[in-house]
This record gives sequence, C-alpha cells and structure tokens, in this order.
Amino acid sequence: MKTVVKNSATLCIAVALIGMCCASRALAAPSDFDGVWIPDVKDQHRQETENVPPWKPEILPQVQRLIAEEKAGRPFLVLSHCLPHGMPTWMLITHNAFEWLTTPGRVTMLGEVDGNRMRRIYTDGRPRPEDPDLTLHGYSIGHWEGDALVVDTTAIAPQAYIATSEAVGVPNNGDMHIVERLYLAKPNVLYDELEITAPKVLSAPWKTTRIFRRYPDRHYQIIEGECEQEDLVPGKDEYGNDIFVSHPQRPDGSVNTVK
Amino acid sequence: MVSPRIALVTAGLLLSFGGVAAAHHSGAAYDMEHLRTTEGTVKTVNWTNPHITFVIETDAKDGEPAHTLAFEVSSPGVLTRSGWTKRSLQPGDHAVFHYAPLRDGNPGGFLVKVDLPNGQELSFSLTPADQ
Repeated sequence: MKTVVKNSATLCIAVALIGMCCASRALAAPSDFDGVWIPDVKDQHRQETENVPPWKPEILPQVQRLIAEEKAGRPFLVLSHCLPHGMPTWMLITHNAFEWLTTPGRVTMLGEVDGNRMRRIYTDGRPRPEDPDLTLHGYSIGHWEGDALVVDTTAIAPQAYIATSEAVGVPNNGDMHIVERLYLAKPNVLYDELEITAPKVLSAPWKTTRIFRRYPDRHYQIIEGECEQEDLVPGKDEYGNDIFVSHPQRPDGSVNTVK
Repeated sequence: MVSPRIALVTAGLLLSFGGVAAAHHSGAAYDMEHLRTTEGTVKTVNWTNPHITFVIETDAKDGEPAHTLAFEVSSPGVLTRSGWTKRSLQPGDHAVFHYAPLRDGNPGGFLVKVDLPNGQELSFSLTPADQ
C-alpha cells in the first residue's frame, strides 16, 4: 500500500513538473522576433491570384466587381479616412513596415502609418475578455508552441475588411475569428500563417500565409508619420511659435495645386 | 475675393480628381505601361501618410505653357528605407520627373523616379532587396 501511495505521489509531482514546464514554455518567448519587419509585397501580389478567399456565393459578385473596377483604373478604397487597416487586412496587404516588440506577457506590433497602427498580443495566459468592445484590430491572445507564436484574435469590428489588395476587399460583417501561427522560417524571414473564419462572408475558413523580412544590417526603423486627412504644413501661430497649420487639399487626399 | 480663374481651376480640380481615388489606394488609376517624363520645379511637398504628394510646375517648353502637376508616390516609410529624406525634394528644386500618368488624363501621376541636377537619382522600392 505504501508503495502505491509513494508511486502515486511521484507521478503527481512528475505531472505537476511537466505541467509547469509546459506552462512556462507556453508563456516564454523562445526566439528573437524583435525588430523591424518589411512585408514581401511581391508575394502579396502572387497571393492575390493564387490563393483567393472562399467567398460565399452571394458575396462573390461584389468581389468580381471590385476586381473589374481596379482593372478599369477605378480602384475602390479599401483603406480610407486614415482608419487602421484592421485585422486581418494589416497582415495581408500592408506595404509598410511594423516593429515587433516582445516584453513579458505581451507582444506588441507597432505599425508605421500612424500611431493607431498597433496590435497587442497578450501572452500572459489571460482568457478572452467576456464582453469586449469590438475594434478594428480585435483582441489577441497568444501563446508559444515551440518556436511559433500562436495568436487567437476575436472581437473584431464588423467593418474590418478582409482584403486581398488595396482595391479588393469586403467587410467581414461580424463574428470573424482569426488564428495565426507566426514563426521564423529563417532567422530573418517571418511567416504568418493565418486561418480566417468569417461566417458572414466566407463559405469556409481561409488559410493563407504572408511573409515578412528583416534586414538587421540596414538598421531600419519604423518611420514617424501622420495620416491627417487635412494635411498639415509647418506654420506659425500668433505668438510666432512653430506649429502645423492646415493645408487645403483636394478630395483625393493630395494637395491643392491652386497657386 | 477669389478670382474667377482660380475658382474655375479649383472647381475643375475638384471635379477631375473627385472620382480618381482618395487616400491610400491601389495604383490602378495610373498607367504604368506608358511612363512620361517632364521637367519642372517643386512647388509643394506633402510628406504624409498614407501617400506622399509633390506638386510641381512644369517648365514652359516647345510652345507648351507651364502647368501644374500633382504627383503621388509611396509612403514616408518606404521612401526613407529607399534612401530619401524629407528634404530630398524641396520647394524650389528643379528636376526631371518620371511618372505614370493618370489614366483619365487629369494633370497628375504616380512618381517613379526623379533625376536631380547633381546627377543623383531618387527612386524607391517596396522590397529592400531591389534597392
């Protein structure tokens, strides 16, 4: 009897240790992902035709019209009004860099277009919030599986597009769920494998991969930039202070050419 | 008091560009197959996201009067990684501009390369390996 108890205790301790080990491994960042990552835009363009989303039959005509409009030189605006790209569009079509920062319990992706391009991926073991506010980037929970960060994103605003280019995309219309597996395929090549479930617009989960590259020797930074629709130019206030002043521009977002 | 000419030009620009595109968009509005070249002087630099714009006044040449062109180009991040700074092109700079014209014929295009008088070329690439 004593032996049985002893063996059981040993087994319990072993299980507990394995559990602790796995838990700490799941919470720890195993690889160096930090740095500035540049999207592989050529691969993005390949994906536009080689791996299209399984649009629902009733959604497909919208997509076909957008493709036709772009071919005709009248591109639709997936990205407008300086709104964040949102998820998954940021990962799918951005032409700009992002910076990956790993800190205890959290991964942060800082985007480049303006201060609101940011994803927070919590890796501290927290559960999903019960009643979150919906946002364009959603609420992301991550954990490490080996050398991959697995990210589960929900609470995404229905207006967030699923886009395959800057001219072709459809709002997810609600209930979207994204699972990503981010890993280093090579030391400076980041793969983001996405599985996008969007029951309002997709007939099945869509799996697609995007590639980002890091160039440590070039010491790239993400660049500060504003995305103010009423573009600003340096000017002076009534005290002679250096300030930005509004600059008239045309409806297309570029400057007014009237002299 | 806005002069009738300026009012007319403004109205024309609003009408002509209203349907082209706004903000951050695909390059489909530009004819990348038929690049053009023009010489001119930078009037305005708009170093902003999502896309930078430069307004230039072309040189009067071969009987064609000077006119205004609005060029769009990529983002501050992409241009900075391609070696530009905010000061690479400044108001008053004279240069040769290579651009993809707007398909609808309006006065503007997508800037692909600039030749500066000192021989320097300014261009950009979305993918650093191409630089």
